[in-house]
Amino acid sequence: MTGRKYPTREPVDFVIVGSGAAGGVLAKELSASGFDVVVLEQGPYRKASDFVHDELGIMFHFDMSGGGGKHPQTFRHLETEAAQIQVNPTPPAFYAYTVGGSSVHFSANYWRFRPVDFKERSLLGHIEGTGFDDWPVTYEELEPYYTKVDWEIGVSGAPGHSDPPRSKPYPLPPLPVKSSGVLLEKGAGKLGLHADPAPMAVLSRPFNGRPACIHCGFCMGFGCEVNAKSSTLASMIPLAEASGHCEIRPESTVYRIETDRQGRASEVVYWDAKGAEQAQRARAVIVSANGAETPRLLLLSESDRYPDGLANSSGLVGKYLMFNGHSAAHAFFDKPLHDYKSVQCSRVVYDFYDSDPKRGFYGGGGIDARPFLSATPMFFALAGLPPDMPTWGAEYKRMLAENFIRNMSILGNGTSLPLASNNITLDPNTKDFWGRPSLRVTYKDHPDDHANAKFLQDRAVEMLEAAGATKVWRSPIMDQNIGAHLLGTCRMGNDPEKSVVDRYHRSHDVPNLFICDGSSFVTSGRGQPTMTIQALAFRAADYIRDAARRDEI
Amino acid sequence: MPDTLDSRILTHALATADRPLPKRMNKTRRDFLKFTGAAVGSSWLTLHWPEVMAAGEAAAKARDATAAFEVLTKAEAADLAAMASQIFPSDDLPGATEAGVIYYIDRALATFAAGQKSLIDDGLEVLNVKARAVKPGAQRFADLDFSQQTALLNSIVTTPRVTSTIGHTDTRGFFQAVRFMTLAGMFALPSYGGNRDYAGWQLLGFEHRQAWEPPFGYYDAQYSNQDADDDRS
Repeated sequence: MTGRKYPTREPVDFVIVGSGAAGGVLAKELSASGFDVVVLEQGPYRKASDFVHDELGIMFHFDMSGGGGKHPQTFRHLETEAAQIQVNPTPPAFYAYTVGGSSVHFSANYWRFRPVDFKERSLLGHIEGTGFDDWPVTYEELEPYYTKVDWEIGVSGAPGHSDPPRSKPYPLPPLPVKSSGVLLEKGAGKLGLHADPAPMAVLSRPFNGRPACIHCGFCMGFGCEVNAKSSTLASMIPLAEASGHCEIRPESTVYRIETDRQGRASEVVYWDAKGAEQAQRARAVIVSANGAETPRLLLLSESDRYPDGLANSSGLVGKYLMFNGHSAAHAFFDKPLHDYKSVQCSRVVYDFYDSDPKRGFYGGGGIDARPFLSATPMFFALAGLPPDMPTWGAEYKRMLAENFIRNMSILGNGTSLPLASNNITLDPNTKDFWGRPSLRVTYKDHPDDHANAKFLQDRAVEMLEAAGATKVWRSPIMDQNIGAHLLGTCRMGNDPEKSVVDRYHRSHDVPNLFICDGSSFVTSGRGQPTMTIQALAFRAADYIRDAARRDEI
Repeated sequence: MPDTLDSRILTHALATADRPLPKRMNKTRRDFLKFTGAAVGSSWLTLHWPEVMAAGEAAAKARDATAAFEVLTKAEAADLAAMASQIFPSDDLPGATEAGVIYYIDRALATFAAGQKSLIDDGLEVLNVKARAVKPGAQRFADLDFSQQTALLNSIVTTPRVTSTIGHTDTRGFFQAVRFMTLAGMFALPSYGGNRDYAGWQLLGFEHRQAWEPPFGYYDAQYSNQDADDDRS
C-alpha cells in the first residue's frame, strides 16, 4: 500500500519527523482523522520481506542502526572531558534507521508504567543534585491510552500478581513460556517472589490482519519477517497509508525546522534520497525523532529569534538524558533450554519495582529471563562463556558446544536518575556525512543507578542458584556508554522554565511545534519505555486532533 | 541493542578475549571452572572499529572451495588457516578447517574488513620471524607442529607490542582480529564464505529454522506436562 504524494511547497496539516514508536502512532491517528500528514524518515523503507537472519550484518556491521561511517557520534562521561568519536562496536545513542524506527529492531518488552512512576517525587521527596520530579500526567489519565496500545498495536500478556490497573483485558494471551521463564519462575518461587507472564508487543495469535509469531528467535536487533512483532511498520504505518492522507517519505534526513516572522514553525528542511535539499511546508510540526535526534534537531534549528535552539527557552533541550540502568547475570543449566527459540522474554519478576528507602538508594526495576548471550551464535561465541573459561582452543570449543543450548540470563531492568550533566549536545569538532555537527552524548550513571543495578543483579543470582543452575556468573556493572533507551531530553511539565513541552507535548515556546517521543519522559520508568512512549503518542494525537479541529494549532 | 541489549557485555568480552591458554592442556571441566585468566588489553575491535565500518557490506555467495583467494596469497592463507585451526581446532567435531573459515577471512579482508589487512600483514610477518626461531627449517607459522603453534600464539597474546624491522606491531590486536574473524567464519551466515554446511551452528546445537513450536526446551516441556497433570487431577 502506498499513500498519496504531497507537493512540498503546499503546506500539509502536519509534518512528522520520524516514523518510529511515537511518529508511527501519530501518523496513523492524525491521517485517519482526515488530516494531511507527511512523515519524514531518515532510514530506508524496509519491509518484512527485507529482513533476514543475518547476525553479522545486524549485530556487527550495524546494517540497520548506523554508527561509524556516515553517522559518527561522540561520547564522554563528563562535561569536563573532551568527547571522542565513539569507536565501540555500538553507537552510543543506539537506534534503528528504518521506517518504523527502533520499534522494528526492539525486543518488544511492553510493560506499562505503574501509578507510582508518575509521582515519585511527591512520594519520595527531592533527590539532591538531580532533576527528579513528578510527571504532569497521572497513570489514571494515561490508562485508556495504554489500553489503546494493547489493542491497536497488539500486545500479548496476562495480568500477574501485581498488574497495574487496566480497563480492558489484554487482546492476546501470553506467548508460550520458555525454559528460561520456567527457571525464573522456579527460582522466584523458592525465594517467595513472583514471576508473571511477560507482556510482549508480539502477536501470540493472528490479530488485526497480521499473523502470529512463528518463534524464529530473531527478535533482539532484527526486523520481524512475518510482521508478528508489533512495530509501527507492521501495525500503524499500513493504516496511515491506507487512510489516503499520509505520505511516508523515507531516506529524508531532516536538518532544520524553519520559523516564520511570528516565530511559528513553518517548514521542515531536509535532504532527500538523492541528497537534494527539500523543504516541506506545514501548518504544524511534530518532532518524534527519538530522545537523541529530537534534541539535536531542535539545537540545529537555532536562529536569531531562538539563539539557543528551537523550543529551548528553558535551556533543557538535550538535558536529563536517561538510558535506564541495566545488569545481567548468566547461568548454565544441566538440561537443554534451547532458549534461542522464540521471543526474548516470557516471565518477569516485579517484586522489586517500587523504590524502597530502606535499601539506601533510589531505584527499582523488573527482572526478566531471556537467552540474551545465547540468542544468536556469534554473540555466544564472543561473549557467552564465563570469564574463568578459555577464549580459544579445544576446551573453548568444547565449552561452546556444551553450553549454547544450556545458557540463559536474568536481566535487571531499572531506573536512571535524571541528571542535567547527562545530555545530548552538538559536537563542536566532529561532523556527520551531511556536514552537521555530530551527536555528542555525555553520560555517567548516578551512584544510585549502579546500586540499584547491583541490587537487582544480586536477586538475579539468588534466583538462578535457587533454580538449580550448575554455573552462575555476573557481567560487571560499569558506567554505561551506550543507550538504546533515549529518554528525558525534552521533558514535559507545566512550568515553562522547568520543561520543554506541556502536558500535551506542545512546546512551551512555539505554539505549532509538538515534541513527542522518549524525550518527553520526566523520569525513566523501569527499563521498558516503548509502551509508555506509545501511550503518550496516542494521547497527544487526541489532543492535537481536537486542537486542530478548533483551529487552535 | 534493541531494548536492553547491553553492548557493554560484548565490549567487555571482546576486551578480555586474549587470555593465554592454561599451561596444562588436558584439564577437567572442574579445573576450568577454577582457572582465572589474566583479563588484560583493549580489544582490537574497540580500537579499529571505524575501519571495519567504513568498508561496507559483504554480500558474497557461498564460495567454491577450489576458487582462488581474493586477497590472500597461498602462504598467507596457510598461516591464517593454521591460526584459525588453533583458535577453533578440529577434533571429533568440525573446526575452522571444516567450516571453511579461511574463505570467510579472505572475503572479509577483500571487502568490509579491508582496513584490517595491514594489521594482518604485519602480524603475520612477526609471527613468521618467531616461527623460524622455533623450528629449524621452518619458513612460516604454518610449518610448525600443532603444539609449537599453540605455544607461539600463547606468547603473542601475552605480548602487546613487538618491535622489529617493520616497526611496532600490535600482536595482541592481530590475534584478536584473527580470533574475531575465525568466530565470524564459524558462526556467521554461510553467504559470507564460512560456516560451511552450517558446521558452526550444528556444533552449537543451533538449528536454523524459520519457525518453531513449543515446547522449546527441557524445562518448558516439563512445565507443560505439569500443567497437563494439574488439569487431569
